[in-house]
Amino acid sequence: MIPEIGHIFLILAFVSSIMQITYWTYNTKNLNLLALDILKNGVLINCLFILISFSILTYSFVVSDFSLLIVSNNSHSLKPMLYKISGTWGNHEGSLLLWVLILSSFTFWVSKKKQINNNLLFSILGVQTLILCLFLAFILFTSNPFERVETIALEGRGLNPLLQDPGLAFHPPMLYIGYVGLSVSFSFAVGALITGKINKEWAQQIRPWISISWSALTLGIALGSWWAYYELGWGGWWFWDPVENASFMPWLIATALLHSIRILEKRLIFVNWCILLSILGFSFSLLGTFIVRSGLLTSVHSFATDPSRGVFILIIMIISIGGPLILYALKSSIFKEPKVQFNLLSKESALLINNLFFTTATATVLIGTLYPLFLDALSGAKISIGPAYYNATFAPIMTPIILLMAIAPFLNWGKGKSKNLLKIIALLTLTSLIAAFSLSTINGSSIFAIICGTLSFWLFVGVISDFFVKIKETKLKITKMGSIFLYISKIGIGMNVAHLGVAIFLAGITGEQFFKTEFSGRKNIGDTFYIEDKLLEFKNFQTLKGPNYQSEMATFTLYQNNKFIGYLKPEKRFYPTEQSQTTEAAILTGFWGDTYVVLGDGDNQSGWSIRAYFNPLVSWIWSGAFFMALGGLLSFFEHKNITKKNIRLT
Amino acid sequence: MNPKYRRLFIIILIVFTIALATQLVLIALRDNIIYFFTPNELKIKYGDNENIKRKIRVGGLVLENSVVKNNDIVNFTITDNKNEILVVFNGQLPDLFREGQGIVAEGNFKDNKLIATQVLAKHDENYMPPEVADALKKNGAWKGDKDK
Repeated sequence: MIPEIGHIFLILAFVSSIMQITYWTYNTKNLNLLALDILKNGVLINCLFILISFSILTYSFVVSDFSLLIVSNNSHSLKPMLYKISGTWGNHEGSLLLWVLILSSFTFWVSKKKQINNNLLFSILGVQTLILCLFLAFILFTSNPFERVETIALEGRGLNPLLQDPGLAFHPPMLYIGYVGLSVSFSFAVGALITGKINKEWAQQIRPWISISWSALTLGIALGSWWAYYELGWGGWWFWDPVENASFMPWLIATALLHSIRILEKRLIFVNWCILLSILGFSFSLLGTFIVRSGLLTSVHSFATDPSRGVFILIIMIISIGGPLILYALKSSIFKEPKVQFNLLSKESALLINNLFFTTATATVLIGTLYPLFLDALSGAKISIGPAYYNATFAPIMTPIILLMAIAPFLNWGKGKSKNLLKIIALLTLTSLIAAFSLSTINGSSIFAIICGTLSFWLFVGVISDFFVKIKETKLKITKMGSIFLYISKIGIGMNVAHLGVAIFLAGITGEQFFKTEFSGRKNIGDTFYIEDKLLEFKNFQTLKGPNYQSEMATFTLYQNNKFIGYLKPEKRFYPTEQSQTTEAAILTGFWGDTYVVLGDGDNQSGWSIRAYFNPLVSWIWSGAFFMALGGLLSFFEHKNITKKNIRLT
Repeated sequence: MNPKYRRLFIIILIVFTIALATQLVLIALRDNIIYFFTPNELKIKYGDNENIKRKIRVGGLVLENSVVKNNDIVNFTITDNKNEILVVFNGQLPDLFREGQGIVAEGNFKDNKLIATQVLAKHDENYMPPEVADALKKNGAWKGDKDK
């Protein structure tokens, strides 16, 4: 009975969204405040209905109601509570329900923004509801989460053990917040095309939405990569797998948009470009969602599919991407840009180059992701494109961006002369040369290691110098520690923090890619071996019982310079319900690197096959991503302060 | 810079970047594509005693009773029920590797053996790599979808 209520509320949300769209189309021409209020209430109602529906599905997972198809296929009564809950979105149907829940919440959030011009807000809410309606139709007609089974199983089949992990429990929601957040900037763009008006306020109002979805995307991607690193057991963290690319492309476009919107906000130029990027950003999100959901490209994430879904997906894509692009082609010429002049050496040029490179980089990733599909469709040849392709295309395109990134903050807007520029370039070159030289003296260093490490250092120096220049320019004396934060919040350091994140990230890549050491061999209890300067001793081997698995666990003691550092306990787990095995790597994370041990097959006669790695600076990769996301979040809040101040002034 | 020169500058920049990127992509595609074969396709295309210089992928089912582990080196045979290929792999096999399972091995083909650098079995016990499924369907060795 309870699941049916969930289903009914989902249908109600669908019906209500159709009514709103009809009402919206009818009232677009002669908008009044009443119509806007009605639409706002409709948005709230959709959001509540979907929330009820989603809660009921979660409840069904929590109480293990195996009369529901997706619960019996993806859950088990013995599973820990966290994974029962995360099981709700660990499958195709539930994850789509989460998608629409986030979409309707975002729409509700936008509807609460009072600063947005009424005409624009009306269009935004209409477009958002249209997207919602399409997705609800998709769920109801092809992927109903509340489908019952005729014969109720006593026990569920369980969730894929690899997915039973805290990192992965939060990876999809984060990623979806990022994807769906981009729908808001998409609707802003479509709204601007419909109303035919664009101004600096528009740019100011769209920017926080880009910041927040960019941050969420960054975190979501980082969580996924972190999970791959510790769960898949071979120490890699990014595989250029099609599904990873699917989440990475919207991120690249969002990054470009985050930068170009600054020019628009400041100078009111590149209007069309920003609108196009906003549309593209969400298009890539849709592509990302559907690449994963359609089984078009295969990977860890793909679920079983049926052809009716594919057709439906195609229809949604055509309406929500093709429609706005046609609108763009017809109406983008109405935006008149002021005649603004700027120097070759100016922030405008720098941001323009940033955008050019980011979109080109996106194109190379897109080609690498889709080329195997096209080749298969055209000639039937099956190929795969691995990391080597991306190292040869993506990396060289990113290099100039990093170089520019350190310098661009010192450039002025428009035609102003940059005072510090020469000094800064001299400083950067000098320090980077020293860094390059020291890198070249490290054992096992290669030319690429030197380039990558030096870029990281170059950026690091650039970011720090920019920070101090900013502090100096405020001309305020720092008297108390507490007031530092006040100044910092005044000058806005979101950008600095995000760029610092990139520098840390690059340092992490340098360490992990170029200075990794590996050990593999067969060891028995009592044996010892070295990895780098670390001594590992095989202490014991035991079998244990977990909540829903059996485990074989080895214990290693790690010593460095004859000092005890810690224990490493790699496991092999067997999940009887799912009849599958997982390898749990043991990782001892340190500031300078991770010691990573994987347990292989074996017995106490011939020993066990052991693989161990030392991954220098690897945790910097995710710390870097965390700083980037934090930077995005800071700029979200800084922006809030700025707009509030403006309102108070006027 | 006045708008006219600015436009010129922008266009030159765009053309240059795109040309550069295209060049990079073409070179990368030429050098880094990995072709996929089933054992039968490989035999037909390259015969018995040819060494293929570039990396390839071979997919099929792991033949029952063919897995021989010798310390860290694993030997096994991939079959598409028409032809077979011996694979030699030094490394950690994925958790879902077992006999009868569809897998993909990547590596260099030398002396009638595939010296694999990577063995891929996807993370789902009922999952069959689509290339393998397609290939098996084509030569009739497909036993239909197992229950999902």
